[in-house]
Amino acid sequence: MQPTENVLEIRDLVKDFPGVRAVDNVSFDIKRNTVHCLVGENGAGKSTLIKILTGVYDRTSGRILLNGEEYNPRNPRDAKQQGMSTLFQELNVVDQLTVEENLTLGMEDTTFGFTRKTDKINRMVGVLNSIEPSIKPRQLVSSLSVAQKQIVEISRAVAAESDIIIMDEPTAAISESEIARLFNIIKGLREKNVTVIYISHRLDEIFELGDYVTVLRDGKHIETKPVAEIQDRSELIKMMIGKTVFEQYTPREIDCPDTILEVKHLSNHRLNDISFDVSAGEIVGFYGLVGAGKTELARAIYGADNYEGEIVFKGQKLRPSPEKAIAAGIALVPEERRSQGLFTILTIRGNVPVMNMAKISRKGFINDATERKVTSEYVDKLKIATNSVEKEASKLSGGNQQKVVLSKCLFADADLLMLDEPTRGIDVGAKSEIYNLIRQLSREGKTIIIFSSELPEVMNICDSIYLMYDGNLKSTMRNGCDVNSESILHIVTGGE
Amino acid sequence: MDSITTGVSSKEQPNVTTILKESTILQMDRSATLRANIKRFYIYIVLVLIVLVFSLMKLDQVTFFERGHFLSPDSIINLLRSAVPILTLSGAFTLLMISGYIDLSVGSAMSLAAVVFAWLILNGFSFLPAFVITLILGAILGSLNGYLVMKLRITPVIATLVTLSLFKGIALLIVPDGSSAIKGSAEKVMPAWINDYARKDVLLGLPWAFWVAVLVILLLVIVQRKTLLGKYATAIGGNRIAADLSGINAVRIVGLLYVMVGFFAALAGMARASYMSLGDPLSGDGMELDCIIAVLLGGTAFSGGEGSVAKTVVGALIIICVTIGLMTVIPAYWQTMAKGGVLVAAVTLNHLLVREKAKA
Repeated sequence: MQPTENVLEIRDLVKDFPGVRAVDNVSFDIKRNTVHCLVGENGAGKSTLIKILTGVYDRTSGRILLNGEEYNPRNPRDAKQQGMSTLFQELNVVDQLTVEENLTLGMEDTTFGFTRKTDKINRMVGVLNSIEPSIKPRQLVSSLSVAQKQIVEISRAVAAESDIIIMDEPTAAISESEIARLFNIIKGLREKNVTVIYISHRLDEIFELGDYVTVLRDGKHIETKPVAEIQDRSELIKMMIGKTVFEQYTPREIDCPDTILEVKHLSNHRLNDISFDVSAGEIVGFYGLVGAGKTELARAIYGADNYEGEIVFKGQKLRPSPEKAIAAGIALVPEERRSQGLFTILTIRGNVPVMNMAKISRKGFINDATERKVTSEYVDKLKIATNSVEKEASKLSGGNQQKVVLSKCLFADADLLMLDEPTRGIDVGAKSEIYNLIRQLSREGKTIIIFSSELPEVMNICDSIYLMYDGNLKSTMRNGCDVNSESILHIVTGGE
Repeated sequence: MDSITTGVSSKEQPNVTTILKESTILQMDRSATLRANIKRFYIYIVLVLIVLVFSLMKLDQVTFFERGHFLSPDSIINLLRSAVPILTLSGAFTLLMISGYIDLSVGSAMSLAAVVFAWLILNGFSFLPAFVITLILGAILGSLNGYLVMKLRITPVIATLVTLSLFKGIALLIVPDGSSAIKGSAEKVMPAWINDYARKDVLLGLPWAFWVAVLVILLLVIVQRKTLLGKYATAIGGNRIAADLSGINAVRIVGLLYVMVGFFAALAGMARASYMSLGDPLSGDGMELDCIIAVLLGGTAFSGGEGSVAKTVVGALIIICVTIGLMTVIPAYWQTMAKGGVLVAAVTLNHLLVREKAKA
């Protein structure tokens, strides 16, 4: 078969959901053996498009040509067999098995139920070796890092002779050094006759990695062009949101420098003797790479994990329980909004007041009218895009879900608001709304602690920046003109 | 005042609905509404259908039982009287399942309560003290389950399977050797008023036990829909991690639900004992299955999070109608199997209608 120039051609693709057209007449081509980036705000239609390509959703109308032939996968397995592999954020490897067993999982050669050593295994191990020689076939997958697991999955896709590997935010959960390694591998995939569809919110990655970029907005196709023809980030951002959004930190004085939170010699299985103070009204940022212990610190302060040491809040020693922390005036916006922050089976109205039900109930009975009123106030205040407070939280986009979680924490009337990765996986527009909200809350006298693995985020809005590495608090600095990102990166990667 | 929203740079929210043609929206809404309505009302339809089928059968030609029409006042009263234990118990059971937990020991707790209640009355206690003591016992049995599951963190199925055996064992121990139940004998006479509670007509031909069950249901419908307990049960069942991080004390809430289930199991057990005028240590057998099926028929997810006490009641009535209906038309040996068959059909139908389509 003569290989076509375009590995994938999408023509007039439409996907309707009840009340929403998620993909609206999208047409573009993906050239063979390139890295093709897909960008857009949340709700732009990226995930829907990917789910159609991988057979999770049926399209409403339109055509897709894979290698010049009609492509209409019935389900993800079918998509895979036709040459469309996906590297999901939730990795599809079995921790308890070895690398080798994982590579052949589901396609073992067997005799009477016993697995046989065959050429297939050797070929797969060969592919893995050519991609990443440091991973040993006999190693247990549980001993691998997230990035190494991704590499195992990529190898499996390459060995299965996939034409296309779709990567959905592969760098979201891995460290900077591993990102570099992963990028080298992705770049090398071109020579292995593999096309990569790469989805990321980190725009820098697109310039480093991409050959082509397609921008989607509100379900529509905005532009597909070579990355080399794009001048800079702001041009890309303009295409994504149709307007420019930029914020810069301006140094400011804290009015009331009373200490509100004192953390003394905090240690647990992931934290090592951490001490610091936070002044009332301050915005503090904890920055570190993934695995530095930020989430663990947030959870310890909140009382969700056990610890040794002492946490004093407003002069009172805290007891380790989220219930007590909330009562004392602390709220946490957790790292994973869907699995830790949101009740997806409940409506917006069910979610917003849940941390402070006392405020909308009397003697254990909930006052529905107050609940509705309070919820619509937050919907207005935080501009949650919905037509009703009765909409199920699961049906909102990521940014709006995060606003619901934020509302929930704000309604708890906390004086100290901790936000763990407040803008992860959220589009640029919603991000800037959340930053403005944080600044506003701080002006109203709330104390904010942000735990983030995005340096620009911390540098844009935090008054103080605390750097973490491997469970230790390495350095503390006031934000301002003398703060430079190079020295920060040096520290959080383990430099002294 | 500088409100929270000022300074937010994105003025236009991406409003996806605007890009849709009106007609498509209407069409989609209509099919979605239809689906939602089917989901909402089909269980009532199932109940009506089952009642209809049994009513249309010519029962006078059936030789096994000399009974009247399925919908005659007598048989309705009979049906409702037999429904008392499951009506009493399944509401609290629903709340527990909404929170994502389960109690397999309810049948044994019921039996134990029946035995204890009968023993107390046989040994000279008057009604009220025996009633209160048995209720307290039920709450204690429930709190034992709650302790094992919530404090010691034993898997609910295992913990309550163990207590199922334990409660039943105690009930069997209380019954004297050579007897199958706590009942009147030559030496000790069971007071005749023991069956006043579950048999004596107080209103519309129905006894106290029935009206208490109705009250319990109303109470629990309100608890589920209007109170913090109901809301927190949903939150815990819907997302346990988020519930913990939202400061909801799951140990306390679910522990309380276990106590409630034990309490209402005792109430159901006493209704059974009063109805039979004896304390049968096997009288609650199979109750856990009836409760689970009633709850599932009512649309509560086995994994928790969603559910409705009111619909469980409809599910419970379906089970009772099937049981009683079959009793009138088929030989006894076939009844258990036939009941199983009908319930498998009902649960399958429920699953097919209620589940969300994977492909939207």
